Amino acid sequence: MFDTILFGMTDGPMTGQAFFVLTALADGPRHGYGIVREVADLSNGRVQLKIGSLYGVLDRLAADGLIEPDREEAHDGRLRRYYRLTQDGRRALADEAELRAATARVVRARLRLSGAQTTG
Amino acid sequence: MSGNLERRYRRVLRLLPGSYRERWQEEMTAAFLDSWLTGDADADAYISKAAGPSWGEITSVAGLAMRLCLNRAGTARRYLPRGQVARYAVLAVTVVQAMRGLSGLVAMAWSRHLFGWIPAPPASMMASGPAEPAQAVFYVVGYGWVVVFVLLVLGYYRPARVVAALAIVPDLVVLLQHQFNGRLPTPSAGAWAFWVLINLAPVLAMSAFHRDAPSPARWPWLLALPVGYLVVYAPLLALQATGNSAWVPDFSGLYCILVAIACLAHAPRIWFGQVARSGLWSRTLVLLAVDAGAYRIFSITDYLQDPHLIDVSLSELLILLISAALVAPDVRARVATTGLPAHPHATAA
Repeated sequence: MFDTILFGMTDGPMTGQAFFVLTALADGPRHGYGIVREVADLSNGRVQLKIGSLYGVLDRLAADGLIEPDREEAHDGRLRRYYRLTQDGRRALADEAELRAATARVVRARLRLSGAQTTG
Repeated sequence: MSGNLERRYRRVLRLLPGSYRERWQEEMTAAFLDSWLTGDADADAYISKAAGPSWGEITSVAGLAMRLCLNRAGTARRYLPRGQVARYAVLAVTVVQAMRGLSGLVAMAWSRHLFGWIPAPPASMMASGPAEPAQAVFYVVGYGWVVVFVLLVLGYYRPARVVAALAIVPDLVVLLQHQFNGRLPTPSAGAWAFWVLINLAPVLAMSAFHRDAPSPARWPWLLALPVGYLVVYAPLLALQATGNSAWVPDFSGLYCILVAIACLAHAPRIWFGQVARSGLWSRTLVLLAVDAGAYRIFSITDYLQDPHLIDVSLSELLILLISAALVAPDVRARVATTGLPAHPHATAA
């Protein structure tokens, strides 16, 4: 309790990498490298996840209950573990997408406004 | 087929903490190999022989290892303790530094009759003449630690780090100056230990305060400063004012006693099973005890000419050791589980 009094735990914002990983899992389960490729596709190559970064994100998302293991498949003697979104993960992704869309709308509106003022 | 490439990548993964590696190593290795191997036997044989993890991959693993140690962005809650322990310890040392700074400011204000409604202090505490530049710097540094502590508690981590980094510079300059002009015996272990263990170490450990770190609860910590001052430094000031300076411990002794009292206050919580969240306070107190003990040991060398002060210092050290021993058994790794099963191929590397 003393710990709770002194350090209230607060959640940080969702990082860009976590957002892309959740998005990559939105249409079905994927394994580690499958997520890397999907994130690269989704971002038109702008986000190239390294394996160390990916598993830092997966670990955090799993601990937060946003993703969970789906199944394991053997491939060339290696086991691939697939991950899927949980209901909480789907909700968190939808909330984040809405937040980002709202932010983008505000940014576009301000840019239009400042553009109009500059030209006017 | 993937032997060499796999071996090189597993070598990189050794950068990760053991518990984390045990959980994720097989998956990370499989994903890494997936990113290289083509399925064509000849091509894969060549790749395995010639290729290795890129600097980008190595950096990402090293970054992950660093984040796990300091609980930075993107790491799961179960790896919190090290970062949390560092934050507790930094706040504890900083509040003591702030109390010390506040004490200097109050003593200065009193000696210069800035508190008109309080009787004048005894002659031994009266300021004589204008403040020397070095004294003024000392007061500014003391005030700086108060600012650092408040900034940390309020969540302004970057400004806190900057002010703290600036606050430790004057001490270093004075130390070097005294060392080179012969005013300090060579080498002065106590003075250097103070700078390294009490000044530099907390500033370096402030990297554990980052945007994703849980915020400290403001009011309890903010109250700790005035309450700590009234409970610890006000009585010491009273001892000085009443001519009992011999009873006032040096800063090293005071640090030992404060940590010992904290250990003694915490120990019953362990015995009665009231300790929550991975024994964070126990780890913090043991870390502080190591810091205080090391500082006490180094600073004893300042009293080599005075057997009485050596006895006092050793007594303080003994009290600290006994107190820390009461909480030390609680310090053990308690890695929480998240429901994620370990990989079937997982082996403790």
